[in-house]
Amino acid sequence: MTMIQDTALTYVFAVCRPSGERTAAALGGLAGVGPPAPVRTLAMGPLTAVVQDVPAADYAEEALRQRLSDRAELERCARAHHEVITAAMAAAPTVPLPLATLYRGDERTREALRAREDSLLTALDRITGRVEWGVKVYALAGQPATPASAPGAAAATGRAYLEQIRSRRRGREERQGAALRAAERVDTVVRGLAVAARRLRLHGAEVTGPRRTHVLNAAYLMDRGRERQLRAALASLGRDEEAVEIELSGPWAPYSFADGGTPP
Amino acid sequence: MTVAAWGSAPAEAHGPIGVPLVDLLDRVLATGVVVSGDLVIAIAEVPLVRLSLHALLSSVNERVAAPWTDSGPL
Repeated sequence: MTMIQDTALTYVFAVCRPSGERTAAALGGLAGVGPPAPVRTLAMGPLTAVVQDVPAADYAEEALRQRLSDRAELERCARAHHEVITAAMAAAPTVPLPLATLYRGDERTREALRAREDSLLTALDRITGRVEWGVKVYALAGQPATPASAPGAAAATGRAYLEQIRSRRRGREERQGAALRAAERVDTVVRGLAVAARRLRLHGAEVTGPRRTHVLNAAYLMDRGRERQLRAALASLGRDEEAVEIELSGPWAPYSFADGGTPP
Repeated sequence: MTVAAWGSAPAEAHGPIGVPLVDLLDRVLATGVVVSGDLVIAIAEVPLVRLSLHALLSSVNERVAAPWTDSGPL
């Protein structure tokens, strides 16, 4: 325990193609996740890792659990991680690794990454010249189908009341179905522009708020030159699809395609 | 109906400011990892994602409403 706490760990942000001094220069001055140790490159043959030494005590199981359960600290870590990856990506093709990927020192890092060298090189091939875009589709909460009908009069009999409930349920199901179909159409169009696609988890009402329901959360790997086409396609979809709200985010480093991705 | 985006900067830019945290977490806590670290693997059984999202959700939005509910009077 004591021994581990006294040791520095190697935090790995990303794996890049060697770029001479470009990557190192791009990382200069970044604080990373654990200053004061600098963010640096670690050469390993055909790959270069972007790493930082961090105190083992900060990343022991319980310490990490506590930090990532604290919203402010989680956000700080995630943004620091993202900042380093974004900087590296500007210098050379970069495969991002997940938050808090840690090894017991540089030698272990080399050993572990070397074992995955082939798949990392394949991933680098796939993401070179490409970026990730995020597309989310939300169903908007519907208005009651017949807002004009006076509730008191319409529900005068038990039968009318039940009919209202059924009709309301039907309306809900129809809206949900329509939103899902709209999401599929959006996905189909965007996949047509992408070289790989991946579905991410949907966000619950805690995140989206009560007025809309998340029906598509997808990531697409796309050639850098496609941005204009993507925006135009989404603008057109946005005009056609009235039941849903479409959100675009990006360009991201290819987080969702660290394995190179599968064809759409 | 709406197309919203924060990424108006060119792809080379050093990342947009104000990247939504929930979208960022979707990515930096991604599953389908190609590389496993020495230590995180130890707590991978308690998925980092769930742990972290709990922290996020507990402060992002206190309102919890079931989707697809109608708000109009019956």
